[in-house]
Amino acid sequence: MLAIQTIADGLVLGGLYALAAVGFSLIFGVMGVVNLSHGALVMVGAYLAWSFWQAAGIDPLLAIPLVMVVLFGFGYVYQRGLIQLAVDRSSLMSSMLVTFGVALMLRNVLVLVFSPDLHSITPSYSGAPIVLGGVVFDPLRVAALTASLVLLGALAFVLRATRVGRIIRATAQQELAARLCGVNARHVYGLTFGVSAAFAGASGAILGIVIPFAPPSEALWTLNAFVVVTLGGVGSPSGALLGGLLLGVISTATSQVIGPSFPNAMMFAILVLMLMLRPAGLLGNAFARSR
Amino acid sequence: MSDILRLEHLSRHFAGVAAIADVSLAVAEGSISSLIGPNGAGKSTLFNLITGYLRPSEGTITFRGHRIDGLSTTRIARAGVARAFQIARPFPEISVRENVRIGALFGRDGERDVAATTEAALELTGLVEFATRPAGELTVGHLRHLELARAIAARPHLLLADEPCAGLNPAETEAVVEVLREVRRRGVTVLLVEHDMTAVMSVSDHVFVLDAGVLIAEGAPALIAADPKVIAAYLGTPEAA
Amino acid sequence: MLRAAIHAQRWWLLASVLLLAASAAVPFVLMPFEVRVGQLILLSTGLALAWTLLGGFAGYWSFGHTAFIGLGAFAAGLLETGILRGTGWWGFLAGLSFGCAVCALVALAVAWPILRLRGIYFAIAMLGVAQVLAELNNNVDALGGSVGVVMPRLATFGLRPEGLFYYLLLAATAVTMLIAFCVRHGRIGQGLAALREDEDTARMLGVPTERYKIVMFVASAALTAVFGIIYAHSLGYITASSVYRIDFSLNMIVYNLLGGIGTLAGPVIGSAIMVVLTQVVLGRFLSVHMFFTGLLLVALVLLAPKGILGLRWRGGRGAR
Repeated sequence: MLAIQTIADGLVLGGLYALAAVGFSLIFGVMGVVNLSHGALVMVGAYLAWSFWQAAGIDPLLAIPLVMVVLFGFGYVYQRGLIQLAVDRSSLMSSMLVTFGVALMLRNVLVLVFSPDLHSITPSYSGAPIVLGGVVFDPLRVAALTASLVLLGALAFVLRATRVGRIIRATAQQELAARLCGVNARHVYGLTFGVSAAFAGASGAILGIVIPFAPPSEALWTLNAFVVVTLGGVGSPSGALLGGLLLGVISTATSQVIGPSFPNAMMFAILVLMLMLRPAGLLGNAFARSR
Repeated sequence: MSDILRLEHLSRHFAGVAAIADVSLAVAEGSISSLIGPNGAGKSTLFNLITGYLRPSEGTITFRGHRIDGLSTTRIARAGVARAFQIARPFPEISVRENVRIGALFGRDGERDVAATTEAALELTGLVEFATRPAGELTVGHLRHLELARAIAARPHLLLADEPCAGLNPAETEAVVEVLREVRRRGVTVLLVEHDMTAVMSVSDHVFVLDAGVLIAEGAPALIAADPKVIAAYLGTPEAA
Repeated sequence: MLRAAIHAQRWWLLASVLLLAASAAVPFVLMPFEVRVGQLILLSTGLALAWTLLGGFAGYWSFGHTAFIGLGAFAAGLLETGILRGTGWWGFLAGLSFGCAVCALVALAVAWPILRLRGIYFAIAMLGVAQVLAELNNNVDALGGSVGVVMPRLATFGLRPEGLFYYLLLAATAVTMLIAFCVRHGRIGQGLAALREDEDTARMLGVPTERYKIVMFVASAALTAVFGIIYAHSLGYITASSVYRIDFSLNMIVYNLLGGIGTLAGPVIGSAIMVVLTQVVLGRFLSVHMFFTGLLLVALVLLAPKGILGLRWRGGRGAR
């Protein structure tokens, strides 16, 4: 029974992880950029949602669209103004270093503005636990999970079925051909990054309800995204979902079996082990070019 | 004259397809031998097997009396087998001289007379005037010479040259051929893969013909040029390169 | 080969020796604050050099070298306080050796699989390793990361504390520089240069790439540990979050990028400039150091990827 509870908790958490990772996955799949500032963008989303909640009492889940708009704009400018310059030097390491630098800049800014202490957002519907067939669910987490799944589904829809999504996927697969078809690749990359940042921010707003956060957490969420992608594959929301769910269950299982303070250590260990032993990921479509 | 390199019943499979099938041949010491054959015949695979980049599926490779199949590329390079690549792989940021120096430092006999060996290799290949330039700045023709210089600086007993004349005009081809002749004069055995029939016919002592992973003919150049099997496989004559 | 290099570099070597002699006089000549800045310059230079053995020379950029600072510090601290219970300088030496050995062994254990990763993947893997060690150190009670370890005090031989640590760091930095010089100008340095440019070709030319990478990784880890251990003693009290710091990893990279990656003088110049900028110029703005360093990293990558030494040689061959 405990096992089922643990798995259920893991799946709920995993849905959140999936949303938190999908932006990172998209960027790597489309542009080949490892965005080390991804976690920082998640944190910015969390702090934005917290600010709206503190200042105007806006429920974080309702604040999501606002957070996404702000981060979309920031992401677009960030990509076209900075990351594109690094990518132009045609070295993956350049873009990684630049995003590493930005991550620490954002972290410092967050510490200055919000203090280094842990924050969390506690909306009013924290209510009674939901019990389904002997398994207990925290309504807050269920709400967060629902929001995550809705957003993941929306992203999948946009990528699959809309014109913008098709253009993004085409540019990802064959940049030169896409450009020859009249696609402004730089603009597409800007859009993609904007979308990625928007989803990162949204995930931050949602996570803020569930997990206490502080500026140093940015490293955690970047590496989290990396593990999710390693487990589930690059570039697609479904891959992020698979990886996220897996990671969620591993997290809760570790918490139960080894101890509540070890899920992070386990996650980082999985990252290192996966990179060393099977970088192409479980499904073979993660970081295949790493050797 | 003894055989410096002997391949016996050598085979290599890739997912069920035999890239090299039961090839046996011997390269005489001090000779220039050519390995020819249509595209896809397995010539590069054979080089990869000899240098240790690939392991044979079956058969043995003997170099100067010792088995080398299964050894690492580093060990085989140290034993005196050097390779000049078809697509040049210089170290672009460091100078030509330093590129050649790497060959001398890590080839056979490591640290002995490194400076002298480096200069000798640069002179032999006519690269002395470019010695201080970053290797990335050289033209394709000169990069071929750099490949050869780096391989020669490793003091090899056997030099494997992978299409050194590919894409070169007749004058450049002749320059490369002259380098190979000089290398032989200095006691190094040369095994080259080449499509340029003029070069092959003019410089080789012995020719091996490979087709679809099988050795279909071998012998003196004139004999090979007239061999109906070779003509059929290759559909080429000395003029058609 | 080394002898030829020493001859070729003799003026630089002479200058270095003079610099060393001048540095030795610092604690007697300058104010305590300036001595502490000097300490920081030495610590930064030493760490930058240790990092570049693997990063600049072999081309494997680790984003997680703080792992060895933390691991070394805690290994030494736990040995000295737990088992040796102080005992001054002998304890310190034992702690130093033990801390280095632990880091060297850990590096050796992960070397083969982790060095098969190239470029950005190696960087991330090292970032992950640092995080794993930090988390374990913090959460496993026996390792005392959250409670912290009080490092034993060292007898100062009449010097002021900042003087003592200054000399320890000076000695460590001098030794590290010597090692870096011998690597760079020896046969291994040439092989590493080839490895850095094109690892596969280097291997096919006979460079023992696997062996060289592992040796550099272990050496880099052990030397980083030395500085971590000295740093820990100078702090007096360490917790996991005070020695496993992502900005340590960041700084090691930035010092090299600023000065000129792959060179010997680069890390020295880069650390000196960074320390002076952050301690003296931005001294009163401690809270924006990370922002400033991050910004500098971005600027360097986009505008001057070869660093200061690279700017000097721009238009000619690369500064190697």
